[in-house]
Amino acid sequence: MSAQRPERIMPRWEGAAPLDVVIGVMGFLAALALCASLVAERTAAGWRAGLADGFTVQILPHEGDGSALQSETTSVLAALRGTEGLSRVKVVSDAEAAALIAPWLGEGTALADLPLPRLVDASIAPGATIDLARLAQRLKQAAPDSQLDDHGLWLARLKRTADTVIWSAWAVLALIALATAATVTFATRAGLAAHKDVVSLLHQMGAHAGFIAHAFERHYFVSALIASATGAALAAGVFAAANGLEGAGIEPVPFLPPLGLGAFELAWIITVPAVAGLIALATARLSVLAALARNY
Amino acid sequence: MGAAKASRDIAGMGRGAMLRLENVGMRFGAGPEVLRDVTFMLEAGSFTFLTGPSGSGKTTLLRLMYLAEPPTRGLITLFGCDLATTKRSKFPALRRRIGVVFQDFRLLDHLSAFDNVALPLRLAGKRLDHYGHDVEELLDWVGLGTKLDAKPPTLSGGEQQRIAIARAVVARPDLLLADEPTGNVDPDIAQRLVRLFEELNRLGTTVLIATHDRSLLELTQAREMRLVDGRLVEMRMPRT
Repeated sequence: MSAQRPERIMPRWEGAAPLDVVIGVMGFLAALALCASLVAERTAAGWRAGLADGFTVQILPHEGDGSALQSETTSVLAALRGTEGLSRVKVVSDAEAAALIAPWLGEGTALADLPLPRLVDASIAPGATIDLARLAQRLKQAAPDSQLDDHGLWLARLKRTADTVIWSAWAVLALIALATAATVTFATRAGLAAHKDVVSLLHQMGAHAGFIAHAFERHYFVSALIASATGAALAAGVFAAANGLEGAGIEPVPFLPPLGLGAFELAWIITVPAVAGLIALATARLSVLAALARNY
Repeated sequence: MGAAKASRDIAGMGRGAMLRLENVGMRFGAGPEVLRDVTFMLEAGSFTFLTGPSGSGKTTLLRLMYLAEPPTRGLITLFGCDLATTKRSKFPALRRRIGVVFQDFRLLDHLSAFDNVALPLRLAGKRLDHYGHDVEELLDWVGLGTKLDAKPPTLSGGEQQRIAIARAVVARPDLLLADEPTGNVDPDIAQRLVRLFEELNRLGTTVLIATHDRSLLELTQAREMRLVDGRLVEMRMPRT
């Protein structure tokens, strides 16, 4: 027999090579966006967990009356220690307060000269639920100058920031998917034009549109899969390098949270070539079917 | 014989229509009609020559018959289906029942002779282990048994034509339409190919060969339809 395996009906189109490059770059950008959203989500979750299991009570000072501040602090401590569900209640020491304001006022600031509030840090025991509104009321009765800060404002802003980063990343992913689909549509049309004779003959010989579309979609699916996998692997390499630098104590990008990804997060990158391949497959199929539908 | 009378006579022939054209006209764009009031019928199992000078409309008529394009006017009934009312989704199945030898062969240059001939069988969903032997045998019969793996660009015009013919007949179509199928081969091969068409016809395939080579008509007993300037102007009944 002539051949062990029939040859491909649709010849490989060399003109499709630039498409591989474009989809490779798209895969790289998509993986970066996806990883950025994962880092943002993980960082926000860490911050939320750190802040949500505690609260701070600040007691405002009366000018020139240090004894009132001390007395109210004692009352607050007593009220807090009598509250069930708190695992830790601690007055922030002068040294700790100095460390907190050092970034703004500089080292060696004399706290005694400043009307700083006294801070009491409290941690909620794991699993415990505390009605913070009622507790704030009780504290107000015990110490009229006290204010309970449950970090709600900060948490809300933090959530908004994280959500913005995450949704921006998803928007970028959607745009990349759209651009990929548009690119494949363009390439498919060019491929149809390049293989006009083959398509016309197959159509004339009674090939179903689905059969012809299958010959095209397979090509674009495999191309997109390989190209986007290459791009995504490069992106994974970038994050792995950042992880390595952080492990060596080097901060690759100042002010950003740790960029290193865990194995589970890296596994998400596999979805990039899978989705890119499916987008290419569906787009190529629909483009070919639409073009063939115009034939007699 | 006048065109109208010829059309009436042909349309009235026999029973069991494989293909019927009624008052078919065809024009391209705003140009003149290249086919005018063409009416005829191909009986199931018939063998017909379509003759006429170059430019008389033979290829255009064939294109209508193998569903390459719709007529500008008139009715075409193929395998009992009125093409004007048949859903397009049914066309692929109709086309697979037709074997076509194109005047310009239309072979796929990237496929071997074997794969070119096997194409209709692949489209019909058959597997290599089922059709491989038949394809080899057919290529051997048309004298290309030693060139199974040759790509069309490496073959002569005559060899390409034989591959095109083998491809058209390999799936034993119900209707075979051949456009100048012996135009590039020497007389010996031409006779051999006509015998192949006759053999296929004996097995039940309706055959229509468009040609301007009148010597072919002497090789077999077949009726003749003659096209001149887009009209069917005369016919010849098969000798009995």
